[in-house]
Order: sequence, then structure tokens, then C-alpha cells
Amino acid sequence: MENTSNPILQDPSDELLVQHFKDGRQEAFDLLYSRHLPKVYKRVRYIVPENDVEDVTQEIFIAALNSISSFRGEAKFSTWLRTLTNYKVAEFYRKRTRKQEPPLAPLSDASAHTTGSTSKIMEERVYLQGALQSLPDNYREIILLRFAEDLQFNEIAELTSQNLEATKSLFRRAIAALRNHLDK
Amino acid sequence: MDQTNEHPNPKKDDQLADFADQVLRGTMNQPASPPTDDLLGLEETILRLNSSFPPTSLDDATVKQMHVRLKARIRREGQAAKPSFWKKWFGREVTPQLGLAFAVLAVLVVMVLTSPSLTPSVPPTTGTASTPISFMVIVGLVAVLFIVYWFTRRK
Repeated sequence: MENTSNPILQDPSDELLVQHFKDGRQEAFDLLYSRHLPKVYKRVRYIVPENDVEDVTQEIFIAALNSISSFRGEAKFSTWLRTLTNYKVAEFYRKRTRKQEPPLAPLSDASAHTTGSTSKIMEERVYLQGALQSLPDNYREIILLRFAEDLQFNEIAELTSQNLEATKSLFRRAIAALRNHLDK
Repeated sequence: MDQTNEHPNPKKDDQLADFADQVLRGTMNQPASPPTDDLLGLEETILRLNSSFPPTSLDDATVKQMHVRLKARIRREGQAAKPSFWKKWFGREVTPQLGLAFAVLAVLVVMVLTSPSLTPSVPPTTGTASTPISFMVIVGLVAVLFIVYWFTRRK
């Protein structure tokens, strides 16, 4: 009982926060949320239409909240959350397909509420999202890790258990594949 | 076609990775390779990606607002998803199949309770064969219990 009234230590690890949450300390999840929201939001923003970004982000954190008890610390919390993010984004597109909606909003939607240069950026973003979405998983993943999560190549290599050369080679192939999709 | 698969080129891999680093740091905003180089197109793609998704960071106020909206949604969905009586008592929602199984079970229980073989109105006579209906009822009961068990085992 005394344990639950202690303040959470300054800058605790994710895994410790998960443990605190499992011990019934709700505020531990709030800290995890504040810590990971920017990266999750950025990743989602790269692959989900602008209007749905916050909704999908919320669903990711709700799923995390509901399944955090299954997190056993075998992988890093950030890796677990990244897997969950990819799953929820895939689910988002599955639902859209089931509803017979186009995988991404048409370009006209992007320009409906915007004007001038903003409209052009939005159109370009929709176009790029479509191209990213059609890449093979490993290509899309390395682009997202570098651009959306701002991980350095050596960090990506460590995360994906590859050497640095293989990681850079994969990155070049991924950009080449993206370019091919954009040229189509 | 992905030609980079056929021609591994660590030098170009390094060059492109360095270019991406510089673009993301904000120290490069135009292609670095000469027009004849096949890296030029890839550099343009990186610049295009970077300009369409300019690096942004969520400020504290936005994070707090989003957190408030998330909590409101969790509260709303928590209220909307209050467990039903069936879920509360049986740990799962009642599907039409399970409902039908319960109904059949109820009918069979009534049949068993009202079966002549269970009503001790007349003392049993030596050598009398047991009533066939009671055997059928027992078989039916076992079948229904099996169905219920099967449905509860399924997710």
C-alpha cells in the first residue's frame, strides 16, 4: 500500500513504468504516453491520411493500454509499441478496404480544405503515402525508422540485427523502390 | 526494376545514407550528385519525402490536449462497453447458437422433470423394461451439454 503512494522516480525506464502500471499505478501509463506519443504520431502521419492520424494514434494507445499486461519485457517497450503501431495501421487499411473506401483519400480530398502551396503539399503527401503503403514491409520500415523516427543508421542496424553496410544497402534499395512507385 | 539488387555498391549506399543524414539535419536541400549519376533520382526522392513531411515535434500543449482527448475516449468507450448479464455470468457474450443450445437444454430439463419414469406414482413391477423416452432424454442431454461445451471452448 505504501508502495503505491511513492512518487515515480525521475526518468524511469519504459520497462519500469510498465511494471508500475501493472502494479496499479495509472500515472505510469500517462508517462509512457507522453514519452512515446511524438514518435508514434510521426510514424502514423507518414502512412495514414491526415484526417485519421489522431484517431489511429488513439487506437494504438488504447490497444497498448488493453494489452500491456501481456508485455513481458522480452523486447524493448518501444519495439513492442512499434509492432502494435504497424498492426493497428494495417487494421486501419483492412477496415477501409472492407468499407470499399479507397486505400488513401483521393487527391481532390486533400485539396478540398486547403489552398495554394498547402494544398500542393497535402497532395504530394497523399501521393507519397500511397507509394509508401505499397512498398514491401522491410523497405517501408527502414524509411520510417530513418525519416519518421529519426533513428541513425547505426541504431537501425542494431535494432534490426543487421550490420551497418546491409542497413545502408537496404535503405538505398528502399528509396529506389519508392522512386519506382512514384514514377508509375 | 530494382537495379540496386543486381549491383551491390557499398560506396553508393554510403553516399546516399550520408545525403539522407544531411537532409534530415537540414544542411542539404538540393541534390548533391551530378545529373549523369544514377544517385540523382534517389536524392530527389529523399528531398521530396523530406519536404512533404517536414520534421515537426509535438509541443507540450498539443501532447496534453491529445492526452485529454484520449482519456475522454477511453471513458466513453468504457461506459459504452459495460458487460452484459451474460458476459458477466458466463464470461462471454451469448451468440445465437449458444442461445439455441440453452433453449434446447431448458426444454430437455423440463422433459426430464415431467418424464413418467421419474414420477414414482406406480411402484415398479419386476421385469418391466425401462421407458425408452428416458434413455433418449439422457442421450439428448449429453448431446446438448457437449454442444454447450464445444461453443464455450471456441473463442
